[in-house]
Amino acid sequence: MKSAIKTVAAVGALAGSLAFSGMAHAADTIKVGVLHSLSGTMAISETALKDVMLFLIDEQNKKGGLLGKKIEPVVVDPASDWPLFAEKARELIEKEKVDVVFGNWTSVSRKSVLPVFEELNGMLFYPVQYEGEESSRNIFYTGAAPNQQAIPAVEYLMSEEGGSVERWVLAGTDYVYPRTTNKILESFLKAKGVPAEDIMINYTPFGHSDWQTIVSDIKGFASAGKKTAVVSTVNGDANVPFYKELGNQGIKAEDIPVVAFSVGEEELAGIDTGPLVGHLGAWNYFMSVDSPENEAMIKKWHAFIGDDKRVFNDPMEAHYIGFTMWAQAVEQAGTTNIDAVRQAMYGQTAPNLTGGIAEMNTNHHLSKPVLIGEIQDDGQFATVWETDGVVVGDAWSDFLPESAKLTADWTYPWVCGNCEKPKHLTN
Amino acid sequence: MGPISRRLFALESRSGWIAIAILLVIGLFIVPALNLMVPEGSLFHISTFWVATLGKYLCFAILALALDLIWGYAGILSLGHGAFFGLGGYAMGMYMMRQIGDRSVYGNPDLPDFMVFLNWDSLPWYWWGFDQFWFAALMVVLVPGLLAFVFGWLAFRSRITGVYFSIISQAMVFAIMLAFFRNETGFGGNNGLTDFKDILGFNLSQDSTKVGLYVVTTIALLLVYMICRAVVSSKLGRLLIAVRDAESRVRFLGYSVTNAKLFVFTLSAVLAGVAGALYVPQVGIINPGEFTPAKSIEMAIWVAVGGRGTLFGAIVGAFTINGARTYLTGVAPEVWLFFLGALFILVTLVMPQGLVGVYRSIRSGELKDAIRRRIQRVDV
Amino acid sequence: MSVTNNADASRMRTVFFSILFVLLSLLAFSFPAHAQQNDAALNAALSDLNARSFKAKTAAVQALGVYGDARAVAALEALSEGRLYGRKSDKSVVIAERDGKIYRLTDPATGVSAGEATSRELKKIIANNKLRGLIRGVLGQLALSSSDSELRRAAVENVISSPTGGSLALLKSARDRETEDDIRARLETGIATLELGSDDPALRRAAVDRLADGNDPEIKSLLERRLLKNADGSFVESDAQVRAEVQEAVSRINDRLALFGLAEDLIFGISLGSVLLLAAIGLAVTFGVMGVINMAHGEMIMLGAYTTFVVQEVFRVTMPAEAFGFYLLAAIPAAFLVAATFGILIERGCIRFLYGRPLETLLATWGVSLILQQMVRSLFGANNREVANPDWISGAISIGGGVSVTVSRVYIVIFCLVVVAALAAFIRYSRFGLQMRAVTQNRGMASAMGIRTGQVDALTFALGSGIAGVAGVALSQISNVSPNLGQNFIVDSFMVVVFGGVGSLWGTIVGAFGLGIVNKFLEPVSGAILGKVVVLVIIILFIQKRPRGLFALKGRAAEG
Repeated sequence: MKSAIKTVAAVGALAGSLAFSGMAHAADTIKVGVLHSLSGTMAISETALKDVMLFLIDEQNKKGGLLGKKIEPVVVDPASDWPLFAEKARELIEKEKVDVVFGNWTSVSRKSVLPVFEELNGMLFYPVQYEGEESSRNIFYTGAAPNQQAIPAVEYLMSEEGGSVERWVLAGTDYVYPRTTNKILESFLKAKGVPAEDIMINYTPFGHSDWQTIVSDIKGFASAGKKTAVVSTVNGDANVPFYKELGNQGIKAEDIPVVAFSVGEEELAGIDTGPLVGHLGAWNYFMSVDSPENEAMIKKWHAFIGDDKRVFNDPMEAHYIGFTMWAQAVEQAGTTNIDAVRQAMYGQTAPNLTGGIAEMNTNHHLSKPVLIGEIQDDGQFATVWETDGVVVGDAWSDFLPESAKLTADWTYPWVCGNCEKPKHLTN
Repeated sequence: MGPISRRLFALESRSGWIAIAILLVIGLFIVPALNLMVPEGSLFHISTFWVATLGKYLCFAILALALDLIWGYAGILSLGHGAFFGLGGYAMGMYMMRQIGDRSVYGNPDLPDFMVFLNWDSLPWYWWGFDQFWFAALMVVLVPGLLAFVFGWLAFRSRITGVYFSIISQAMVFAIMLAFFRNETGFGGNNGLTDFKDILGFNLSQDSTKVGLYVVTTIALLLVYMICRAVVSSKLGRLLIAVRDAESRVRFLGYSVTNAKLFVFTLSAVLAGVAGALYVPQVGIINPGEFTPAKSIEMAIWVAVGGRGTLFGAIVGAFTINGARTYLTGVAPEVWLFFLGALFILVTLVMPQGLVGVYRSIRSGELKDAIRRRIQRVDV
Repeated sequence: MSVTNNADASRMRTVFFSILFVLLSLLAFSFPAHAQQNDAALNAALSDLNARSFKAKTAAVQALGVYGDARAVAALEALSEGRLYGRKSDKSVVIAERDGKIYRLTDPATGVSAGEATSRELKKIIANNKLRGLIRGVLGQLALSSSDSELRRAAVENVISSPTGGSLALLKSARDRETEDDIRARLETGIATLELGSDDPALRRAAVDRLADGNDPEIKSLLERRLLKNADGSFVESDAQVRAEVQEAVSRINDRLALFGLAEDLIFGISLGSVLLLAAIGLAVTFGVMGVINMAHGEMIMLGAYTTFVVQEVFRVTMPAEAFGFYLLAAIPAAFLVAATFGILIERGCIRFLYGRPLETLLATWGVSLILQQMVRSLFGANNREVANPDWISGAISIGGGVSVTVSRVYIVIFCLVVVAALAAFIRYSRFGLQMRAVTQNRGMASAMGIRTGQVDALTFALGSGIAGVAGVALSQISNVSPNLGQNFIVDSFMVVVFGGVGSLWGTIVGAFGLGIVNKFLEPVSGAILGKVVVLVIIILFIQKRPRGLFALKGRAAEG
């Protein structure tokens, strides 16, 4: 009996010391929360973003940290479980007292943590292209809004250079990002005079793996004699079997180009891109872009991760821009106080890795260039078209009637993410 | 003492009552007091994070009790209990969705945002009535109960038992998950229901509301525990145990096994629905992720780890596993799945009676005897 | 910023260029000697390929098409295949072949070697889809007169699929020269599609007659467009008699296409069924024989897929390029061994302590599956791994009516049948198979007869796991190779086994193909998601009727 008690006591002491070890850190560090899934379905995409955050923090610490303090990453694993995201967000802000959080990938995970960040007045940098229709005072959206990705891509395909496409298949996974994007695109295409019978919309479940019927339907739809393109908002896991089926059924990019908004270098790394040459992607960043900043960044990244085959992609660049801006804002504000840093964020600029300067707007979205690239057989994109300058990210789409009337602006006199009238003029 | 209160008192042993009383005092008074009255920064302050997290665990504990009732006592392992939990949660979520009114993003007082967004012009019939709390509360009980009744009636009538039942219950939850993922089904698709503002007029982002929900959940756990205890210590409970151990014999003895199983399965589903309804306001989101088969399997693991067929073990298991998850995903984000996986294997191999079983054998000295025997054998 | 140009003007320009181009190319064919002398123009066009704007590149491609000699063809092929580079030092255009870390360069104008370079010294000349389409048409027109019938066959397809203003004349002259019957038939069809727009009603009628025999959905929609009305209310097809014939032709094609549609659903169903069967067959062994619910079954498939990846990488490094395509064959035994080894470890280390407690097994193997997933994630990273389709299983076979079967799926169906047949033969004829069947039917009696049930269990589990690993080899060809791979198949596999009847191999086969075909016939009607929901509900209801599945084992074994 005595030995059993001893064992229990020892285990308890061990657990206790583990529990309190988290609190032993000195208070003279600046804590940055990293809220990306490291297990579960989203680990495929999000693990690389955790790595890039550790890399950026390491780089900043090499430069002497911030405000004379070292930056300390606090990594947690929300395990692709949406309620757990909310719990972990609360843990980061309330228990770990982090000064900022970089994280999330899926829309639903963002929706899950949003009330927590608003309630506790935290600050989240969200790096992934998303559906828009949101502007929170506590979130900075460093990924593309629909007008920074979907609309330019479709405009390109409609142009002579892009192949004068007249017939459209909007294929997506059934969740909010494809739904919104397709809705915006449908309204945009109709405004451009595309008749309804030339638009086919198709939704599939998450992780859809048997694409035979749908690819065959697309072929059928494309046989109407008009140039046809597929706009794909198919999500993560389902893309590999989708592209493999496209390649196997002999659909060439010259005949039916597929432009995807969720397929980047990281996703292509899992596919033999030989049969996919010419299919397109629209992003704000490509790893293949030839610029000195990009080359330097990739070199440092490979040195940090110890593997020169690892790719760098758009959401990673978004974290790079977001982190650079946040660090500058903290230096300018002279504090990590959320409200002060938020004020300092507006108008903050940072160089894009592809050239030009990104700017944080008062609607919490970035101004960034838009690039359209064709997939090459080495798994990279070759830029075939880009915007002349930067495009301002729209929180609310002009192509949706109920959203066109809303404005997001977090500076006086609006101070509101979704208002039809300035909030502080009437006061 | 009247006969009813005497029966009630007889549900637990003396030490059981003492344990319950101690836990209740901690749960109902000390935790809220330390959160609301002790200033932040004090060593004794319990942060809202912990209150919210404990509230979540309590919901899981209710769910685990519901599962233990059928698995531990009737031998029915449902791998689809996430369905009942989720449906209860959705019913409550629909009520809170309707409470948002015109404070939603698009400001439409009649339709939730996602319906405005999908261009629906009126509320579908299955959303009618959910602006009333009493109706939603009724549905929390009714919808999971009805589904369980129909499913159970089909299954038990055809004498589907054991692993076959487990697998088709998994098919059920998987089918519900796929259906709820569809945006056209009308429950918000993958994002589910979120952006809740208040419940019964209380603002959900206020600490006092959170503590209130936590207290309500604690009381609910006590009540559910009592209900389960009452069921298993009744004549029906003994019949169920007999069914668990030798179903055919019970049938041959003339008992209606089907009805007994159907009753307890439906009751379990209702309790799971209640757990879901309490869970949703505390985590602020309900989406089809709750219906993934993996989550339903995990629920069974809570019960197994705590010790099945003990009721109390289900609560212990739910707290242990979820506590470990909270802790390990923060401390060891890269390797916590190894711990969790190893824990499942160890528990099933080494502790077939779960943590409660280990505790009991320590108390009764069996463990010591067993170890001594093992050592002696080695010596020889 | 808008990229749309004035569409009308651009169309006019395209037509003009095409006509000019065809005239010039005809000229080029007649005077090849003249063209070859004009090297200065060739060099100018080649260096224009390295222009910044796609417009200039387009003009250069067209100019090269006019030349039509071997050097221009080589340069155009290189551009379309992404082998054409600009050398940064002297801005010259070179064809580059990768050789390890360096590139071997060829000067396209002379065809001789231009030395070597590293990737930093070169900049790839990007062709976009439009340019590649143009090159395909240009090369096709050049190859129409090739002496190689395979080249001609491909060229005909290329010209028909991207026709320009002069294609009709080219196709007609090609038809007159053509000696192969099937190519001529294809040419006739291509000519007919173009003559459908002719001014002469008689020609149009002949074209409709010719096209009515086909079963190509593209031709159907081409015909259907003849039935539409113009903006001013007049018919596109002005001749009423021709219109009636078109109507007739469309309905005939439609009838045939309906049949092809059914055939397509059936083929897709069989293909999906074979995937389900592969995923489930290992489970049928472990679940059926041992009554063990192995939740880590999906992870065995995943291990097989990762083994394929490793074998592929080994082949890439150690084998000559010609042998690379056969890595898949080597992966089959490797995957079997890896998965079977893990199977034995799991059985000896965990499951054997839990016999008679199937539900506990379920939970323990769930723990195993979590560990295996995280292990793979730690070893290989969380993202997908690339497993290439070797050439011999790439591509598709067209069976007409717009229906085509992909070669990889045909192989999967065959492979799956071979695996099942081998397994069935093994169970039926081998000594171990006999013991296995004995244990399945009556464990106690088998043990009493002297069969070591423990050993049989371990080997059975290894066999089931090994087959799951082999399934992973096949599935790596059509699916993600990621740590989550197994999770995608686990629910489906259980459904197949339970639906077919536990312990019955035959039941598993019928179950898998049945579910696959039902799913594929439902999908066009109800959509992919609802189709799956309906199938699940069907299974649940079916199990009520036959609680032991389609082919239940009789006797004591059924009293689980």
